[in-house]
Amino acid sequence: MADEKGFTRRKFVQGSAAALTATIVVKPALAAGGGGMPDNHEQVPHRPLGKTGAPVSALGVGGFHLGSIKEEKESNELVARALDAGINFFDNCWEYHDGISEARLGTALKGKRDQAFLMTKVCTHGRTKDVAMKQLEESLRRLQTDHLDLWQIHEVVYYNDPDLIFARNGAAEALLAAKQQGKVRFIGFTGHKNPAIHLKMLSHDFPFDTVQMPLNALDGTFKSFEHQVLPEANKRGIAVLGMKSLGGSGEIVSRGALTAEEGLRYAMSLPVATTISGMDSIGVLEQNLNVARGFRPLSAEAMQTLRERARPLAADGRYELFKTTTKYDGKVGREQHQYPPEQKLPV
Amino acid sequence: MPMKPFGRHDQQISALGFGGHHLGDAPDQGTAIRIVQEAVDSGITFFDNCWEYHRGKTEDWMGKGLQGRRDKVFLMTKVCTHGREAMIATRMLEQSLNRLQTDHLDLWQVHGVGWDNDPELFVRPNGAAEALLKAKKEGKVRFLGFTGHKDPAVHLKMIETGFPFDAVQMPLNAFDAHFLSFAEQVLPELNRRGIAALGMKPLNGHGEAIINGELSAEEALRYAMSLPVATTITGIDKLEVLRQNVNIARNFKPMTTAEMQALRDRTRQAAGDGRYELYKVSLKFDNPEARLAHGFPLDDQSVEVKEMMKATENTGFPFPDVKQQQP
Repeated sequence: MADEKGFTRRKFVQGSAAALTATIVVKPALAAGGGGMPDNHEQVPHRPLGKTGAPVSALGVGGFHLGSIKEEKESNELVARALDAGINFFDNCWEYHDGISEARLGTALKGKRDQAFLMTKVCTHGRTKDVAMKQLEESLRRLQTDHLDLWQIHEVVYYNDPDLIFARNGAAEALLAAKQQGKVRFIGFTGHKNPAIHLKMLSHDFPFDTVQMPLNALDGTFKSFEHQVLPEANKRGIAVLGMKSLGGSGEIVSRGALTAEEGLRYAMSLPVATTISGMDSIGVLEQNLNVARGFRPLSAEAMQTLRERARPLAADGRYELFKTTTKYDGKVGREQHQYPPEQKLPV
Repeated sequence: MPMKPFGRHDQQISALGFGGHHLGDAPDQGTAIRIVQEAVDSGITFFDNCWEYHRGKTEDWMGKGLQGRRDKVFLMTKVCTHGREAMIATRMLEQSLNRLQTDHLDLWQVHGVGWDNDPELFVRPNGAAEALLKAKKEGKVRFLGFTGHKDPAVHLKMIETGFPFDAVQMPLNAFDAHFLSFAEQVLPELNRRGIAALGMKPLNGHGEAIINGELSAEEALRYAMSLPVATTITGIDKLEVLRQNVNIARNFKPMTTAEMQALRDRTRQAAGDGRYELYKVSLKFDNPEARLAHGFPLDDQSVEVKEMMKATENTGFPFPDVKQQQP
């Protein structure tokens, strides 16, 4: 993904910070409905990671945006503050910013590794087990650790990905090998395109501990992960990791469907283990912590109200471009699947 | 030129259809007129076009090419409401008839149905469905249909609205069989209902698979024409292309089941991730008008977006005015 996306998101978040504050000050009733006024002493609650039972924070720090921060000093500070607030879930990926995101997190977690539940992702995009194992070693080195808490197959978004992943000598074998070698505790996969692809992955009855997917108040109207995948994962005790609570680059907020607070509250109220949110400044972290500290889920009625408000804007996927366009499909995956690069296939 | 029945109706159309979009890529109006004239004289009767192609240029050129030949062809164009109201559709119809220099269309289709909510927007009160029925009643169009290239599920949803469609257009080629397949999911349903199936993109849109040597142009066109369709629409921007396609169509013998299977086996691997069917997975083939109506970002590298910006004082929303192309 290009830097300008991070930039766009930064702009939106700054813009929405005022709106968020206003919401809390002017409409205390709304905030109270979602768990009371934020209290700086309250911690972000922890939840079990599916049937593994490992405790993870209800809010997770997205790794991509760590690499978008200009100064390493600020990313270190962001991670330290997140840990202080009770966040232990840290997301990352081998291909984010060509390794910079992992390196940033490795530096920030130095001496604090045991406080974190550390996840990164592997980017074979259809290639073989040995490619995956090599990427694992690189990820461990950059993250300055000897093991991951969670290792996931990144961006399962092409329709033939499940076949390639489960082919002989494919990435699925790498996950099992890494777990057996004690290099990773848990294994999973991620994707943002189509619930059908997720279900095809799950149809293999492979011992996934986690599955990551976009979950937001708009998802329900359209190729819905909430309707199609979430219940299946819950039924099987596979922990669900939510992402793109605001549409990927904040489209849901910047185009007026919901406030940032409403968007995050909705996503965190679903039956998920954690909601991963990209945070590219301390300001965004603090904004998210306002929602996440002492978080109590919205009532079913409040969630339905948000869904109904978003419905007219949601139904064609204009704010979920990860489902309807190639905008969020990364460079490495495009190369492996012989798709045109971003410059030749712009949104 | 082989002829085929147009669905359940007592009407024959040519097995090869003339795609209107590529006509806009002809170097000049004179060449475009000659291509259209020669196509009619070669026996092609099915002519495809669309209100939004090249901001009206292709309808304009086709209208000029068909002067004196209008009664020899089955003329289709498309309307670009993309979820917007009936009044817009009716206004577009008048513009299309004017550009095509005719008082009626043989077939009028809703263009680019591909977004998940398009079917509900089409049949809503004051939606485009009302304009289609009114135009038919007034004798301005003989038959009605819709087109789209995105997702078989959206096509099926459109059919399930119960609207009396005479024709449905979709991409049908040797790659489709493996990936979000219209041939598997939509085609049998149309055949069952007697709705004319109009195939398009026999060469995957811009022929990328042929350029990369996955199959030959002749194999691709023969495969598409061998499916149970009323016509196969292919884009023509040069006299050479017209002559090559007419030649394939005149000598057309349908592929055997075994031949078709062999070709599908060859394309299976490359087809699996959609790299040759980007119209199903990206916005690449979604026209500016569709993106605007649905609030999607425009691609400012696209030729049609550039034309749009140049040809109009475009406000972007909700319905930009289009000036008539001058000869």
